[in-house]
Amino acid sequence: MDFTLSDDHKALRDSAHVFLDKEVDLGPLLKPGATVADVDYAGLWKKIVDMGWPGMVVPEVYGGLGLDYVDLIMVVGEMGRTLAPAPLFGALAGVWSVLAAGSEAQKTQLLGGVVGGNLSLALAIADADGGYEAPGRGVSAEAAPGGYRLTGSKSFVVDAASADKIIVAAVLDGERRYFVVDRTASGLEVELVAWRDITREVATVRLDKVPAELLSGSAEDAWPFVRDRLYLVLAAESAAGAHAALDQAVEYAKQRVAFGRPIGAFQAIKHQLAEIAGQGECANVAVQYAAWALSEGDPRASLAVAMAQSYNSEAYRDATHRNIQVFGAIGFTWEMKNHLFYKRARCNAELLGAPASQREQVIQILEREAA
Amino acid sequence: MDFNFPAEDDPRRQDVRRWFEANPSPTYKQIAQRGFSAANWPAPWGIGADAEMMLIIEEEFARAGIRQPSAFNPIAVNQCGQSLLTWGTEAQRQELLPPALACEHKWCMLFSEPSGGSDVGGLRTQARRVGDHYIVNGQKIWNSSADEADIGVLIARTDNSVPKHQGLSQFIIDMKSPGITVRGIEDMTGEEHEYCEVFFEDVRVPADRLLGKEGDGWRITMEQLQTERQSMTKPGAVWGAGPTARELVNGLIQTGKIRQPLVRDEAARLYIEGELLRLLSLRNLSNKINGKPAGIEGNIGKMMASPHGQRMTDLAKRTQGVAGMVKDKDVLPLPAKEYGRFTDWDYAYWFSPATTLGVGTQEILKNTVAERVLGLPRDSDPSARMPFNQTTAPRAAA
Ligand SMILES: Cc1cc2nc3c(=O)[nH]c(=O)nc-3n(C[C@H](O)[C@H](O)[C@H](O)COP(=O)(O)OP(=O)(O)OC[C@H]3O[C@@H](n4cnc5c(N)ncnc54)[C@H](O)[C@@H]3O)c2cc1C
Repeated sequence: MDFTLSDDHKALRDSAHVFLDKEVDLGPLLKPGATVADVDYAGLWKKIVDMGWPGMVVPEVYGGLGLDYVDLIMVVGEMGRTLAPAPLFGALAGVWSVLAAGSEAQKTQLLGGVVGGNLSLALAIADADGGYEAPGRGVSAEAAPGGYRLTGSKSFVVDAASADKIIVAAVLDGERRYFVVDRTASGLEVELVAWRDITREVATVRLDKVPAELLSGSAEDAWPFVRDRLYLVLAAESAAGAHAALDQAVEYAKQRVAFGRPIGAFQAIKHQLAEIAGQGECANVAVQYAAWALSEGDPRASLAVAMAQSYNSEAYRDATHRNIQVFGAIGFTWEMKNHLFYKRARCNAELLGAPASQREQVIQILEREAA
Repeated sequence: MDFNFPAEDDPRRQDVRRWFEANPSPTYKQIAQRGFSAANWPAPWGIGADAEMMLIIEEEFARAGIRQPSAFNPIAVNQCGQSLLTWGTEAQRQELLPPALACEHKWCMLFSEPSGGSDVGGLRTQARRVGDHYIVNGQKIWNSSADEADIGVLIARTDNSVPKHQGLSQFIIDMKSPGITVRGIEDMTGEEHEYCEVFFEDVRVPADRLLGKEGDGWRITMEQLQTERQSMTKPGAVWGAGPTARELVNGLIQTGKIRQPLVRDEAARLYIEGELLRLLSLRNLSNKINGKPAGIEGNIGKMMASPHGQRMTDLAKRTQGVAGMVKDKDVLPLPAKEYGRFTDWDYAYWFSPATTLGVGTQEILKNTVAERVLGLPRDSDPSARMPFNQTTAPRAAA
């Protein structure tokens, strides 16, 4: 039992911290109408790929770094703290999908591409209503000479626009299976949606008889495997983002003067920020415990990630809401960063199902344990 | 990073368990002699247990069905006794600690006064040095277990002429001293064993019962309150002593009430909070090893844990509807275990308003977190810098 981060973990976090502080500039996003195209999106991603982050969770047998989930949250936390606009979420979702559903040959080939830095991935699985239930309705697969063809559409696909290949969940013979398609394949259309979190690209993916390769490993439990890890990613971003929002609010409260005192001297402000600090501490232990549980293959890992995603989503929302209030009207302008965090918080909370849906998972797990 | 709890076959656990098996109904004296009373203290008092060992010991006490000394005699074992390790003299340790850890002497905390518990630095009870004694006059209030206590940890004013926090000193006093009158106060649960008021009329306290030096009282008291708060991060109702969210959810599952949609979501929320508080308290525990004074993080823990306990007992009660308004021990089933007085949800529920008052009100805790963790400006206290005898407090007392 040791609840502290090792020196290695801290060193990893610190190096990510220094790198991202230097490389991430949200300034260009602070003009109305700006998109990730206005920051050096591709340039930042290239540097991140050079750092090897997309291959962080790829096992060593496939050429990756084979780091564990505590290592992962060190880096993802820093990405969340800085709102780094880069398609890491899609890359990780793709890697885990291939790990969960690919054959050995496919893992070697696709994960090798990711590690080699010449393959970006994304995962298309949500339906138009934001649901993830199997088998799904959006896309159906039919056998075709030399492979399969996919037809239909998937929604809320993170990082599809910058991906080279997209993993698509589609219904084959009444079951959910996973396929790989080229983003540039004919019949495939990626349409960006006006996603509120402008540090992230989210798209609708439409397919019309698009040639696809079936991930031919077992698809059973692939989504719970991927989902649990994506919960961890979002929860880690949220914990770090909540701390960033708190730190900014505290700094501002020490400087902004009203009625002859810094506003941080007023209890209405102090007490609310104290409350956020408390939630922030809980968010930290939530994500660290979840990361550890996944790394260990602990039987409570699914419970731990669902708890973290639910709790941290709301802690992040509360922190960013309070952050805007502490800044006053300027905190409500486009030209400040406050709204970027608020929007990230809200979008993270809904992306994989609302916090209440994770709480439902928690209760179902407890009911099974009690039975 | 390793969240694994000590396993069943952990040799240290086996060791503790063998001791409990060899001593099936140990006296607290035997427990103290084995070093299990305040296991985190250094030898000879404890065994210098780290966080993991503390957890093992706690679980093995529970397994043996024995109430831990820290629950039976919390002021001595948890909050104040360890101040003697750093501030006390060897003679004080030899005289006071063995009976405290053996639970032969129950201790109480004499801090709050009618004039204020939050602003305890503005207290008015006087201790005047006369030869080799101090003469104490004044009144304390809200003192838990003072009616059963042998020893009191008293903070009193030894110097009127300096600002309020500087003129305070701490004494370890005999509660049976002539001139002390203790009266029980009936609290809103209708029980008369929570707290008391204590009157001092020319009470003679030997000078060698002064802890530290004159004027150290404020620092020592603050250390003790941090330690106490840290121990209150535990995820149970009533400062960690009562039922937990795990038990709440189990009860709701057993009774089928978990199927009500609103109950379901709220129960999940509470369960998650409870689990996170459990992790937080274990993390804090590791900062408290070897009898070191607690850090500031205990404030965050208690700030989160007390309202959590209130919400939890509130849900337990609400699932009972109108029937829950009858004094009743059976709101929801609870597993048989040692909860001290809080063996049912009903008592825990009606007691719960006290949990955001005692050991620092919620407002004081938030102030502490904001000021000491976040570094926000301190509240202004016009009386903090002037000599105490020039503030309005002593005049009001006169
Ligand atoms: C069950 C229980 C057990 C207790 N056991 C002990 C014990 O063993 N020994 C002991 O000495 N005391 C004990 N206490 C007393 C406890 O420490 C005090 O009740 C507490 O410190 C508050 O003091 P008070 O009751 O005088 O309220 P006050 O200090 O008068 O506070 C009244 C209200 O004003 C608020 N307030 C005060 N100052 C501020 C501020 N600066 N900013 C914002 N709000 C403020 C408070 O938060 C509270 O809401 C116990 C209390 C309870 C309920």
